[in-house]
Amino acid sequence: MNDLMLVRKNLFRKKLRAWLMIVSILVAFLIFGMLASFYRAFTAGEDAAAADRLVVVNKINFTQPLPIAYFNRVRAMEGVRQVAHLNWFGGYYQEPKNFLIVFAVEPQTYMDVYGNDLDIPADMRQAFLRERTGALVGEAMARKWGWKVGDRVPIASNIFSQKSGARTWDMTIVGIMKAKTPQMDTNFMAFQYGYFDETRSFGKDQIGWMVLQTTSPSVNDKVAKAIDASFANSPYETATDTEKAFNKAFVAQIGNIALIMTLVIGAAFVTILMIVGNTMALTIRERTREIGVLKTLGFSGQRILGMVLGESVLLAMLGGIPGLAIAAFIAFMLRENLANFIPGFAMTPGIAIAGIAMILALGLITGIIPALNAMRLRIAAALGRG
Amino acid sequence: MRSLLLQVIAVTTINLKSISQRLWLSLSTVVAVALVVMVLLAFLAMANGFQRTLAGSGSDDIAIFLRGGSQAEINSTVARDQVRLIEDAPGIARGPDGKPLISPELYVVVDGIKRSSLTKANLPLRGIGEQGATLRKGIAITEGRMFNRGANEVVVGKGLLKEFAGFELGKTVAFATSRWTVVGIFEAEGSVFESEIWADLPVVQSLFNRPNVVQTVRARLENPASLAALKSYNDNDARMKLDVKSEAAYFADQAGQTTDVIQKLGWPLAIAMAFGALAGALNTMYSSVAARAVEIATLRAIGFGGFPAFVGTMIESLVLAAIGGVIGAAATYLIFDGLTASTLGGSFTQVVFAFKLSPALIWQGVLLALVVGLIGGLFPAIRAARMPIVAGLYA
Repeated sequence: MNDLMLVRKNLFRKKLRAWLMIVSILVAFLIFGMLASFYRAFTAGEDAAAADRLVVVNKINFTQPLPIAYFNRVRAMEGVRQVAHLNWFGGYYQEPKNFLIVFAVEPQTYMDVYGNDLDIPADMRQAFLRERTGALVGEAMARKWGWKVGDRVPIASNIFSQKSGARTWDMTIVGIMKAKTPQMDTNFMAFQYGYFDETRSFGKDQIGWMVLQTTSPSVNDKVAKAIDASFANSPYETATDTEKAFNKAFVAQIGNIALIMTLVIGAAFVTILMIVGNTMALTIRERTREIGVLKTLGFSGQRILGMVLGESVLLAMLGGIPGLAIAAFIAFMLRENLANFIPGFAMTPGIAIAGIAMILALGLITGIIPALNAMRLRIAAALGRG
Repeated sequence: MRSLLLQVIAVTTINLKSISQRLWLSLSTVVAVALVVMVLLAFLAMANGFQRTLAGSGSDDIAIFLRGGSQAEINSTVARDQVRLIEDAPGIARGPDGKPLISPELYVVVDGIKRSSLTKANLPLRGIGEQGATLRKGIAITEGRMFNRGANEVVVGKGLLKEFAGFELGKTVAFATSRWTVVGIFEAEGSVFESEIWADLPVVQSLFNRPNVVQTVRARLENPASLAALKSYNDNDARMKLDVKSEAAYFADQAGQTTDVIQKLGWPLAIAMAFGALAGALNTMYSSVAARAVEIATLRAIGFGGFPAFVGTMIESLVLAAIGGVIGAAATYLIFDGLTASTLGGSFTQVVFAFKLSPALIWQGVLLALVVGLIGGLFPAIRAARMPIVAGLYA
């Protein structure tokens, strides 16, 4: 009979009480795991942003267009390695509720700028350049709709219409884009700007925004200032920012999600700390006499301390680790369903490590006071009591 | 019967009086339940506030015309000749001068700085027609004046001013090369229009380089029932084929999704936390029964039944949970009620809304607390009622 066995026996002496505490700890870490995954997905855009990428938008607001002429002017600027332009299409498939993230892009520059994030095989690249109605579809989107290379799909827009009055554009899937980094989400598609611009009924020769790579992150500031200065006082002034700052501001538009998450997780943990802490104190107090007996048998104070702390840590782990595992499982199951709203919803190793650290902390905090009391207990007092 | 009642009262009193002996354990149950109720009510108040803001914006007797399939104002465009056709449409109310009461509008998105995060946010700048303000309920200028027609002037909604910086009365704001002066602040009964900036339609069209472009048309109906006539007029004319709906229906659609998401997040979180709190409540109540084992057995030995022991424990649990529920509801009311926040709405622009608790929501919160108390008390109460007298006396 070693100490570990004693710890386990002690913990499950009152089975119901132990299970109740395990369940409440499990729930707390389930909440933590889910919300942390959720929050990470929300801020994934920030992580996916490359340090040397800048975004150029209309200064009034990023939904306002820019003239296509700006594209060549920016391309020629010092410090700009390569630049692509994108246009929001407002796409949906068959029914407005099936909304799709669709961009109209110039193929070559688009594939250049996103070369480090997207894996597109050479033959698919060629096909995208060649095929006027060709479209590249992200892996996640292709999987969701069961599309494969060669399929012809009608994509509708809730913003644009064709000169013919039609609201859908026929596109041929010429390639599937895979993510090169885990932060990159692939629930989107891109099609040729040329095809889009020639057929749309309004907005000709306008682009949505530009994404560019600088020659080095150290010149970001200078390049951004130079771009904005060169278009100042024109009808289309620009605002240039790093991709990271742009994505961050966009997420902030939805609301103060970080604060909400912190409050909820905080509330869940305060609850658990109080319940488990109190119960641990209670169980140790009930065992005062036994601890006196152990000490009489020659157990040292440190050993008692270790046993009580071991019990509270074991309790925290028995609840916390399955809680994290269930959260990871649920996140995995929900991933497809939530792809449109919160892409990249998944539990990362970082979240799991933070969770395990919190489990240990919870075990130590709830156990430390009862453990110290038990360690300091004098035999005479312990045996005399109860 | 009377004696049973007296027994119940006696045991319940003992139960409640003994709470102070398990102060910390009982307190932790109360706090746990209070936190569960707070989380639930904060989410529900958020969803409710958002929904009220949008629901309060639409009227039944206003029709809104959007391009077919565009869903939101920002995506819509209405052609010039379509506007003329709408002017002649049946069912639209006319002013004393015989002109139809309609407002063609242009909806552009401009940047503002959100005060709480100091980041850029999408704000709607609406160019409204002559009748624009009268087609909305309860528009009142609270400071300054209405913009003059043809001038580079804007009026700003009260909600927008509160959440976003740079639009104070008298300030000049620049959108590209155009400069605008804020000449007035308006109220709109807390509706979504309070999150908007308004200016004269022709001025917005020319300064935003969109001559003669209109995105939506609002029209006052003779009465809500004339929407049907208007719809059939629209559907039967090949030149129209717009989406026509009542403004109330339009905003109800807009509110649906966001409200849904908030509620779908709030309830599962609260229920998961309730399980945690339930574990705490069960623990407390089992401890209560264990601590009073001798006492319960003694009462049984002198002739008390099992039922009073059951009721006493149940009531102790319910009282603790109810106190937690009420504290949670009160704290939510004090901290969150009336708190303003903003989020992206259906037209891709910020909607300012206030958290709003209602008696129905508070009742839902307290009910959840009582469910925790009920389940948390039930099993320990059964144990109390069934406790063998002899074993109890020797405990």
